[in-house]
Amino acid sequence: MWWYLRARLVLWLLRVTGRVLRWAVLAAVLIAASPVTIVAGVGFAGAWLRGWPPARLRRAACWALPMTGVYLAGRALQARTWLALALAPVRDWQQAWHQVSAGRVVTAFALTAPVAVPAGLFAAAGLWAWRIYAIENGLAGKTATAPVGFDVRQWRRASRAARGRVAAPGTFPLATPSGQVVMGATIRAVGHRWRPVLAVPYTAMSRHQVIIGATGVGKTNLMMRSWAGWFAAALAAHYRHGAARPLLIVLDCKGGPDARTKAARTRVLLHAAGAGRVAVWPDEATVSLWGLPPAELAVTLFQLIETGTGEAAYYADVTQAVLTLAVTAPHGPPADGAAFLGRLEPGWLDAAYAGDASRLAAVAAARRSLGDVSLRYRTLLSRLGPGLDGPGALPGADAWYCILEGTREQSVAEAQAMALTELVAHAATSRDGEPRAILLACDDYSAVSGRVPLWQLYERGRSLGVGVQVSAQSWQGLGRDDDERRRIAATADGGIWLMRTPYPQPVSELAGTRKVIETATKVLGGVWGDEGSSRVQHAWTADPGIARRLVTGQAGYIHAGGCTWVQIARPKPSPLPIPPLPEPVLIPSAPEPARPPAAVPAAPAGALDDLFGPGDRS
Amino acid sequence: MTSAPADPFAVLGLPARPDLTDEQVRAAWRQVATATHPDRPDGGDPARYAAASAAYAMLRTPWGRSEAYADLAAAPPLTGRVIPAAPAIRHRRSPWRAAALIPARIWHGRPYRLAVRIVAAAALAIVAVHTGAGTPAVAGLITGIGVWLVLTVRGDLAPPPGR
Repeated sequence: MWWYLRARLVLWLLRVTGRVLRWAVLAAVLIAASPVTIVAGVGFAGAWLRGWPPARLRRAACWALPMTGVYLAGRALQARTWLALALAPVRDWQQAWHQVSAGRVVTAFALTAPVAVPAGLFAAAGLWAWRIYAIENGLAGKTATAPVGFDVRQWRRASRAARGRVAAPGTFPLATPSGQVVMGATIRAVGHRWRPVLAVPYTAMSRHQVIIGATGVGKTNLMMRSWAGWFAAALAAHYRHGAARPLLIVLDCKGGPDARTKAARTRVLLHAAGAGRVAVWPDEATVSLWGLPPAELAVTLFQLIETGTGEAAYYADVTQAVLTLAVTAPHGPPADGAAFLGRLEPGWLDAAYAGDASRLAAVAAARRSLGDVSLRYRTLLSRLGPGLDGPGALPGADAWYCILEGTREQSVAEAQAMALTELVAHAATSRDGEPRAILLACDDYSAVSGRVPLWQLYERGRSLGVGVQVSAQSWQGLGRDDDERRRIAATADGGIWLMRTPYPQPVSELAGTRKVIETATKVLGGVWGDEGSSRVQHAWTADPGIARRLVTGQAGYIHAGGCTWVQIARPKPSPLPIPPLPEPVLIPSAPEPARPPAAVPAAPAGALDDLFGPGDRS
Repeated sequence: MTSAPADPFAVLGLPARPDLTDEQVRAAWRQVATATHPDRPDGGDPARYAAASAAYAMLRTPWGRSEAYADLAAAPPLTGRVIPAAPAIRHRRSPWRAAALIPARIWHGRPYRLAVRIVAAAALAIVAVHTGAGTPAVAGLITGIGVWLVLTVRGDLAPPPGR
């Protein structure tokens, strides 16, 4: 019995001694390499407090390497042999201890810092990576809920750090010199390479993108930043590499006073990004629907009105025939709405097709319905307003901000959206003018998607080479049924921006899963034991729980099987003016005749009231 | 009918910027109109008033300012045959131009924070020099401080124009 107890005691003592020795050796090493230990400790604490990933520490360590390089180069100039150079850090380390014993701690640190700083940061990165791994897999942490608490804490800290970073103006320009659209500060990257600033290639914006986020989560800022960044990057590519000049068309499908404010902000941003003409439709600028090729114009006009099915199909056919006759007449297409309505008269059509027996027969057959067709189009054109009646064409400006009153007058806005998308298609395919790189951005398109469903717009854009960016307030806002929504989201090859929304699961499903190790720990008699098992599990790449908890300005960029959570930087125009184009070379021609002296014009309407109105005479 | 002035911004004494507000344009117009109106006892300056009226008519709306700015940026031809200048010149990255922009970028960025950074870096460099740690270590330290300064200072500058 005594023998057994003695043996147990000896074994316990051996174990304790071994443990003490191990700790003693570790402490000795840490003290001996104290400069590295201090830097590693500071780096580890910084990462913990700021929610940094290990990659952040590794980047810092890499940026510290020039310091080591210069130090070694300096030592190489002094050392006569390779051995002396190799031992130089060791000698400096020994020298540092002498300095410490003499009370000169700063000198000691200065001697060792060129090697200790990068080494310490690399060590901190390794330790921090191990800590995250251990916590996530249940190998560390005092309680079973430690992984959950750790994740929440680190998210909170990373969010705070990202919010602080986006305040730096120079870190978040609209676009980088290499043609990337800068979006914001990275909070967490899952399946993507971590970079402190998330920048998306502008070519990705030229493909399809989907933005999903509820009202008030910062969707407008995200979209404006992406538009202005895309424009700046595309314009730079145009000037540097001869790429097509950008043309941005924004359809604000909700309308209202907010839309005007957004239009004004967008205009300022786009001007700062290099856009010349930024037109706000229909408040300030108009386009002409009548500039479409006659055949397309006839089809568009036909689609603009509601046509029924069944017995009504007869009248639809009559309407289409009348439109074709009126628009494709030998005189050319109508110049404006009034001219078009003037053509829906029997006398005009008879005169236009005089001598063409078959067309005249068609006119005679349709004569009874001409009045009805004319009335319908008169009503339609008056409801559409003057915005589509010209003058103006989409390629005439660098950017268009089109305000559709989708909330107030849905049927009108739907017709306007259809007409505008036709004009975009024409601008994309027209061979007459300069080729343009077009981005069609539709904000809250669901408000006007009655006539042209979103998937149709998408597929049309794809076939025309037009980038389409669509935003919706929820997954349900993307389409009528789940099949349509999935079709839209799954083909968003430019990426999906997921902001706070109550139902993010379908988007998370599209983002896919990643493999993680799940460790289960046995609980024995109410105590968390040290036995357990690990197995490979699948976890969300874009965690829907995170998407529900996002605060204003945060978004997840889902692309290529990964998700980067980011704090979107509020778009601000560069305060510096763009330099003007160099003066063109002018070849003088015949001098202009002298102009008569200018007469004093009438002051602009309201101008004299401004000047001499009541209260202004002082 | 008065033809539109070549640079309506200059006529009203305004900088050629598209982000001017209605109030700024109106204030400039009132100032010019008050000084030049033909109804003034001294007869005013009808020619200048005419030009200012035409300029104000152009610039009074945001769209008009946008148009006028675009026309200025595009440098429209006056008369004769024009050989357009290579647009690539506008956005060519020149280190000299980038350097010339730095003062403006500092001024429009976060100059006080930048000053604190520079002072901190300078103080650290002075401390490093005075430690007597030897030339290679001090050179290494100053390099490290310089790299840190270059990497962090960028965030305190305003973005370059067009970006």
